[in-house]
Amino acid sequence: MRDLIRVYRALLRVGWELMLEYRAQALLWILSFVFPLVMMNVWLAVVDEAGPLAGWGRSDFIAYYVAAALFNYLTAAWVLWDWDEDIRTGSLSVKLLKPIDPFHYLLTNELGWKVFILVVMGPLVALAAWLSPEIDYPLTAESLLAVAASAVTGFALNLMMSTSFAMMSFWSTQTKNFYQLVFGLGQFLSGWIAPLALFPDTIRHVATLTPFRYTLSFPLEILMGRLSGSEIALGFAVTAIWLISFTIVYRVFWRLGVKRYEAVGA
Amino acid sequence: MRNAFRLLAIFYKNTLISELEYRLNFWSNLGLSLFWLVWAALSVRVYFFQTEEVAGWKYPELLVVMGLFFALNGFRQLILTPNLSRISEYVRMGTLDYVLTKPVNSQFLVSLRNIGVYNWGDPLLGLGLAAYGLWQLKYVPSLGQIALFGVLIAAAMVLLYSISLILQTLTFWLVNVERVDALVMGVLETGRFPVSFYRGWIRAVLTAVIPVAFMTTFPAEALLGRLDWRLAAAGIGLAVILFVLSSAFWRFALRYYTGASS
Repeated sequence: MRDLIRVYRALLRVGWELMLEYRAQALLWILSFVFPLVMMNVWLAVVDEAGPLAGWGRSDFIAYYVAAALFNYLTAAWVLWDWDEDIRTGSLSVKLLKPIDPFHYLLTNELGWKVFILVVMGPLVALAAWLSPEIDYPLTAESLLAVAASAVTGFALNLMMSTSFAMMSFWSTQTKNFYQLVFGLGQFLSGWIAPLALFPDTIRHVATLTPFRYTLSFPLEILMGRLSGSEIALGFAVTAIWLISFTIVYRVFWRLGVKRYEAVGA
Repeated sequence: MRNAFRLLAIFYKNTLISELEYRLNFWSNLGLSLFWLVWAALSVRVYFFQTEEVAGWKYPELLVVMGLFFALNGFRQLILTPNLSRISEYVRMGTLDYVLTKPVNSQFLVSLRNIGVYNWGDPLLGLGLAAYGLWQLKYVPSLGQIALFGVLIAAAMVLLYSISLILQTLTFWLVNVERVDALVMGVLETGRFPVSFYRGWIRAVLTAVIPVAFMTTFPAEALLGRLDWRLAAAGIGLAVILFVLSSAFWRFALRYYTGASS
């Protein structure tokens, strides 16, 4: 265990430095920053015309989207692209030779990003919430803890989901395109397109059963004080079920995949 | 000029042939483009669960704007990104020498040499969505409206091109402008919606400072037959002015280029 911690410290530093070096993600960055602000703008236009919707007024939309911009970064996991690259090009071989599972490299790489985002964007959002009279998060010590926990489990869920789907790369070259479909559908069910409260009931009920909701709208709704204690508990339970399922899928297909991978390489 | 276009035809054919070797990818990419188009159309449906009209736009009318956004973004990925994003590399590596020594206009070659076939379906699919919006409205534009729309969408492409070229040309002085394309994309993203969806100063900026309104909203309004002719004239004028400016800026910047060997 001590060894693993030492390895992690070193890997985390590498992840952090990689992040500072690697600029291709700038595209993604700007897009995921502009999109929620554009969506917020449109909702404000709608509210100005039609009045509050399903109990959501101006300040609710502002509070939701400002936090969504931050939490979307915090819970995102782009490891599928790395897994796919490693498996397709064969650079996985090098990682297989090393004494730690390739999973750890990708995880620490992601964590480097998270630290960066927290340091850069966290204070910005906190400042916005403090300065703007429209944004008011009714936080207590317990709810703050629940928000933090749900952000962590949200990230874990994205990480394991993306890793599970990445195992397809052992068999197919179309993994990235396929995952984009999953990801695109997920953006409806996660609350990224619009707060789930504004969707028709059926979609909302489906969303509470899917993993996507727990990667974004769940922490946001806790933050905004819109969930009761039992709803929060239920949310964590569903998250746990999905997390365990994805982990099993990943490990099973990882074993099968590596066997097949070696067979091709030899 | 005829020669230059013959060159382009050869370049593009080669890119297309090498892309077509991976047939599964080719179709899979088209399928993905279609998926994101439907995604975009459905994502704005949410607003209309709650209200008939947003800022004077019905759902099918909004689809026209959304389709044009998709088409223009496709044009960006097809032509602008694969070409203009390389300028910074040309300058840094000194490979601009090869461009300058060719007997073709350097701006022409730098702007059109490459083609990004990855999203080749986007422009057509986008126009398809715009047409679908019109069909839902049971609205048939007159020939005059279609002609004006054609001119305005060409002006929109020129506008987007000129702005990108000016920004990318800054690389002659600032070596690191890799994020320019991301910036252009972020700004264009606001064109997903009609400009009247934005309030106050944001709308003013999107009309007058960064002319996103001229790229999607006004061409869509031309198609729907409700565009003020003065705005149409302004759009065409703006495109001409910016094109001349960007071209002059490119020639000016070349004077600062010292080449790889000197």
